[in-house]
Amino acid sequence: MTKTHDIGDVSNDGTGTMRDNYKGYLFILPALLMLVVILGFPALAAFLQSFNLMWVAKPGFSLGAYRALVDDAEFLHSLFNTVVFVVVVVSSHLVVGLSIALLLNMDIKFKWMWRVVAILPWTMPDVIGGLVWRFMFDTLPGIVNSVLLRTHLTTEPVDWLGQPGLAFFAVILAESWRGYPYVMLILLAGLQSIPRQQYEAAELDGCSALQKFMYVTMPNLKHMFIISLVLDTVWESRLFGMVYSMTGGGPGYSSQILTLLSYKQYFQFFNVSYGAAMAVVLATVLFFISLPYLRLSMRQQI
Amino acid sequence: MFTSLAKRLTLGVGAAMVAGTIACGSGPATAQTVITYADWQLAQDIWGRSLREAFAEFEKQNPGIKINVEPVALAQRDIKFATAIRAGAGPDVFALDANPVKQYIAEGWVKDLTPFVDKEGGKKFLSDFYPRSLEPVTENGKVYGIPKNIVAMVMVYNEVMFKEAGITKVPETWDEFRVAMKKLTKATTAGGPIDQWGWTIVAAQAGFDLRSSVILRGFGADFLTPDWKKSALDTPQAKEAFKFIVDTIHEDKTMPPGVAQVDANAARRLLANKKTAVKIGTTWSLPEVSGMNPALDGWNVLKMAHIPQKKLDDKSVRSTLYQKSLFMNPNTKNPEAAWKLIKFMSDPPQMAKWFDDNLMLSARQSVNVSHKPITSSPYALTVAQEINRSAFLPLIPKWPEILETFRRNLQDAIAKSKTPDEALTNAHNQINAILARP
Amino acid sequence: MKKSNSMWVFIYGALAVMLVYNLTPFFWMVVSSFKSELEVVSYPATLLPNVFTTDAYEKIWLQEGFLLYFKNSLTVSLSTAALSSLVGIFAGYGFSRFRFKGRLAIMTAFLATQMIPGVLLVGPYFKMMTLTGLYDTLFGLILAQTSITLPFSVWMIKGYMDTVPIEIDQAAEVDGASRLQTLFLCIVPLVLPGLVATTIFAFLLSWGDLLWALCLISDPQKQTMTLGITQLVGQFRVYWSEIMAATVIASIIPACLYLVLQRYLVQGFTEAAVKE
Repeated sequence: MTKTHDIGDVSNDGTGTMRDNYKGYLFILPALLMLVVILGFPALAAFLQSFNLMWVAKPGFSLGAYRALVDDAEFLHSLFNTVVFVVVVVSSHLVVGLSIALLLNMDIKFKWMWRVVAILPWTMPDVIGGLVWRFMFDTLPGIVNSVLLRTHLTTEPVDWLGQPGLAFFAVILAESWRGYPYVMLILLAGLQSIPRQQYEAAELDGCSALQKFMYVTMPNLKHMFIISLVLDTVWESRLFGMVYSMTGGGPGYSSQILTLLSYKQYFQFFNVSYGAAMAVVLATVLFFISLPYLRLSMRQQI
Repeated sequence: MFTSLAKRLTLGVGAAMVAGTIACGSGPATAQTVITYADWQLAQDIWGRSLREAFAEFEKQNPGIKINVEPVALAQRDIKFATAIRAGAGPDVFALDANPVKQYIAEGWVKDLTPFVDKEGGKKFLSDFYPRSLEPVTENGKVYGIPKNIVAMVMVYNEVMFKEAGITKVPETWDEFRVAMKKLTKATTAGGPIDQWGWTIVAAQAGFDLRSSVILRGFGADFLTPDWKKSALDTPQAKEAFKFIVDTIHEDKTMPPGVAQVDANAARRLLANKKTAVKIGTTWSLPEVSGMNPALDGWNVLKMAHIPQKKLDDKSVRSTLYQKSLFMNPNTKNPEAAWKLIKFMSDPPQMAKWFDDNLMLSARQSVNVSHKPITSSPYALTVAQEINRSAFLPLIPKWPEILETFRRNLQDAIAKSKTPDEALTNAHNQINAILARP
Repeated sequence: MKKSNSMWVFIYGALAVMLVYNLTPFFWMVVSSFKSELEVVSYPATLLPNVFTTDAYEKIWLQEGFLLYFKNSLTVSLSTAALSSLVGIFAGYGFSRFRFKGRLAIMTAFLATQMIPGVLLVGPYFKMMTLTGLYDTLFGLILAQTSITLPFSVWMIKGYMDTVPIEIDQAAEVDGASRLQTLFLCIVPLVLPGLVATTIFAFLLSWGDLLWALCLISDPQKQTMTLGITQLVGQFRVYWSEIMAATVIASIIPACLYLVLQRYLVQGFTEAAVKE
């Protein structure tokens, strides 16, 4: 679409051209109010709840919830799962996303069609994706076992979602499938903004394809890479619907992730401050992960 | 048949009344009271149809009240009810099996029905219900729910498949059972993959309690000590039962793959599609399974037998009681109308209908001894005999959590991530920890 | 940049692999939805329906109330999108055109709140809704989902408004237009494509949500599509063919919208961070 106008000169002179800057407050007021009421307040409340201070049975400052976390095998397992899940899923998104972005950036025929196909998985809401993959992995009438049996790769149906390791693997596979186009789109935008002259110059210097990739493509993609890495990490850590609908965290708690456990603690077992403490831990980690993105974004605004 | 005649009569009267109202042309603009009724059995073809018929009848008898039905999946039932009730909402009337009732009572999620019961005659009103059926819904002399059915779990099997496999005697011990299951497991087309199995347990959440507990009990073990204060899973009998489940899955392979995800409904469907020949069930299995696949001819092919045992001469508990009751939401705005509905559903005519439609025994003694179809049913007889050898699962508030702990450990053993002994010891210790918590 | 034939074979081969990988779940979803109840549970599964039937769709649409869930989802998602875009237009303009004290801090706050996981908010939010009587209302759900979409909408709209030259505002001011007039008569028409993209994206975020609906809605009459589908799973009478039919219905709108929207979305995501 349109190129970004260089609005830097406006921002730079700060107060100069605008005499009515105070009006800015009026314009942002509705959004700010909503931010405070529907985001700020619940977040603060959750924070207080985790210390047993608000909307709990017997209020009184306590670190009990956090202390209990350290000894809770289920929490530690879910935390471990979340880390593994996010690391594997995000890396696969970056690898697959970059590969397909490179493919789509070439002079291929029917470009729009390939592009449409490449984006499709991402259009599926994660809850829906979880259900579809659950049925694909279904032991008896699922397509995965059906294909394995027909091609004689196995003689017995595999119990994909009933074995702890396999179930977790299946969830990872499903989300790897669903989420990569998002990373791909960002990286593709990055690829398309690399000036052609840089490649031509590299060709004149006698660079091979690999060298061009290493010395022209990758350095130019650096920012886009950081953005997609951070955003995807945050999005995958917050994932809920996919796991909820695909395995519900089972069997046992082998495919459970933090969001699901926190939800269960809050809404199934009514351990309010315990569930809140888990969510606070997750939010804190995510905040630190997103710092590079925040810094990068804010630098553009000064 | 007297009942159907009565039904037709009431229908006729109802229709006449409706016609009358229309003829007058001045339908009284009465403010309609809407009562919401939630039941996991609504989420099911045959039960759901039967319930909807009952509500249509109720609405005819009570023109000012309209029933709104809310089906809910069994696995999601309690989290859904509890969340809504805690938020001041939820259905006005709902049904529960005995499993979570004590938790609902302890948390205040069900209304004390004693005042309503007293108005109906108190002790006299309750005297028709089996004393055992009142145990789950009574706490400190107060009544929180009105029982609808009480049955015991039995073994449901496909007689034709038994004959085809050369099984002439219905297994009475677990050893015989194991042999029979092996005979039933085979490929139906020569050279093809194995596509018929003996049986399956239910290892997913929905329906796990009733169907898996009988194996434990059939081996002479139980979850908790008789006083429900401590775990009883450290007995040799419990070990044997646990090992039996795991062995039939991994050594005998007499269950279809994917046991971990089989819930009550999946088990029914396997039986309906002749993938298995046996399931743990009860009277309801017949209409349910037959309805799923009419080609099976379930009413003629399916038979019932007692739960197998370790030793034949053992006279102890071997099966589990199922009890369904109706409850009122403490948040209801129309307690009178809600009570009318509960009373209607638990009155003898509706109990009789529930047997006619769903083969379910009543919690009212008078219905079971006087309703002809019940007294002449061989299925009712088998189940009634089994009731004498059955017990409730622990009626304590912490039971749902304990059951879930046990189930997860069994799943670990099935998935081979723990040995049966490790998993059982784990369950034993975790359950004791739950019970020790204030 | 000329490539050898074998290179092209490799490229199209890779694209073909992607095609199969991406489409298999869609294939399975659509195929299963056209199977009969009996066939969909048969083992081993058939790859194409032996008997092609639309029974599952009829059952889902007419019997299971999905028409209603579809309407609810539309109501909630449209309202969420409209609310966050309207508020976002004002805020985007405020951030783009005014230099007031605390501007950067507030903008950072908006950006940072995008990172908050929903599970942190949903518990206290549940409590807030029960206290205000908004539990189990579509309005409560709309407010909640706005918390997911608002920060994003504000940033995206601000990004689009930054692309409009400041001279336009100045010209409008010379003509005596008020700030509001400038915004709605001059700026909004110029950023309309971006605004549409933002609105659609908010719509999609809301459409795909499960967590909020799961925790804030109890009445089946008020269920959204995603919630309705998850509630179907495990219901005794429901077959996979019907669940798959429901997922097809729930996927059609997002698939179409995303495909139309993809170009604008990339800009939205990256605009904030990258300005060359």
